[in-house]
Amino acid sequence: MGDKTVLYDAHMKLNAKMAPFAGFEMPIQYTSIKEEVIAVRENVGVFDVSHMGEFFAEGPEAIKFIDNMMTNDFMGADLYKAVYSPLCRENGTVIDDFIAYKIGTERVLICVNASNIDKDYSWFESHVTEFDCQLSNHSSNYSLLAIQGPRSEEVLKQIEIYPTGDFPYYSAKEIQAHGEKLIIARTGYTGEDGFELFCSNQFITTLWDKLLNAGVIPCGLAARDVLRLEVGYPLYGHEIHDDVTPLDSALKWTVKFSKNNFIGKEALENYTPKYRLVKLSLDKGIPREGYPILNEEHETIGKVCSGTMSIISGKGIALCHIEKAKFPKDKKLFIQIRKNIVPANYHTKPFITGGHK
Amino acid sequence: MSNVPENLFYTVDHEWIKIDGDIATIGITDFAQKALGDIVFVELPDVGESYSVNDTFGVVESIKSVSDLLIPVAGEVLERNDDLEDTPELCNESPFDNAWMLKIKMTNAEDKSSLLDATKYTAHCEASH
Repeated sequence: MGDKTVLYDAHMKLNAKMAPFAGFEMPIQYTSIKEEVIAVRENVGVFDVSHMGEFFAEGPEAIKFIDNMMTNDFMGADLYKAVYSPLCRENGTVIDDFIAYKIGTERVLICVNASNIDKDYSWFESHVTEFDCQLSNHSSNYSLLAIQGPRSEEVLKQIEIYPTGDFPYYSAKEIQAHGEKLIIARTGYTGEDGFELFCSNQFITTLWDKLLNAGVIPCGLAARDVLRLEVGYPLYGHEIHDDVTPLDSALKWTVKFSKNNFIGKEALENYTPKYRLVKLSLDKGIPREGYPILNEEHETIGKVCSGTMSIISGKGIALCHIEKAKFPKDKKLFIQIRKNIVPANYHTKPFITGGHK
Repeated sequence: MSNVPENLFYTVDHEWIKIDGDIATIGITDFAQKALGDIVFVELPDVGESYSVNDTFGVVESIKSVSDLLIPVAGEVLERNDDLEDTPELCNESPFDNAWMLKIKMTNAEDKSSLLDATKYTAHCEASH
């Protein structure tokens, strides 16, 4: 049995199906994955993602430090903005992906994947000494809820947890609500409008109850995986991992070569990508992780990184790595499912258009 | 609690079998469909295929999982339920009726003796909880 999040008992009370994930016992689904996906696309759902890691970088050079750690541009981002980025080694391979939140001129929140907390913290720690900046790991004393869906703004205003003034997509602010200090960010992993609320382990149960009483639907990690795949978001351990660079996984937009320096810059400038990350769907059948991708001659040229049934489109969908040198110009691709070779539809856009602002 | 009709036979892998003479109709149980959740894909063999006991004859997929279907009695496929191709959700809605999967012409009447009756299957389900 893994670690429990503070809300473990609340999940049990709702009869959630629990399963170990990144060392935590996490809710996989409450009622049905289908209903939970639809709740987020059409209404509003809440995910307990307290297993994720939270670090703070504080000090005069906190922003400069984080900018050097990420391939994306953090120096150039306005105050109270969030920035998504891969975290790369000197050789350009991916350690993790993360979001950095510029919540002060000298204060940055970093949110990382649960499975990589120790690995990431060691990496940040080994580089922070060159900067006038303090690093701290608060992963075990912070909880995190993701409130996602078109009604999320309305619901948060209703329970009086909302910042004053404009609060566009990818904003982040520290606020006071119900006598508690919270960090609210307009970020998420579903493609819908939504928010992430970082708060103390003491306040999380109150917050969870307030959201459920306001009619927000509890959603599990299974629905979260379908939602992120429908909008084509990568997941560490699948589309990105220790053996590929951001340039192999359709993340070129997050690598800002115009920056003076960042870890991995030189390697990435000289790197020829091995893979192309593509979106494929099937009219019949469901692609699953590891299934081979074939060309018209039925040679294996790649594999499925993540696959599922899309609830919204009703089709099997997948993110796949294809060897760049073997990518067929006519884009005629096939997925092998057991003994069957099934023609795949090639997508240039996400499978579903999310409604985020 | 799952529904376990008295007139059927069962396997430990949560399949049900209805036997009429040497014809066996098979499907997955209410317990199985509840455990799998929303069923979104069913793959069944062609009519005429022959199987020995415990051969894989198809798959049933939920959103997150792929499960093999194992043949409970040896024989040849006489008929398959093509409705499941377009409406796999029948497995959730009507596991014992509209979601029958195959009709098998049994080649070994003895296979029946290794199947569970409703009482034994109910006990098996309770133990699996």
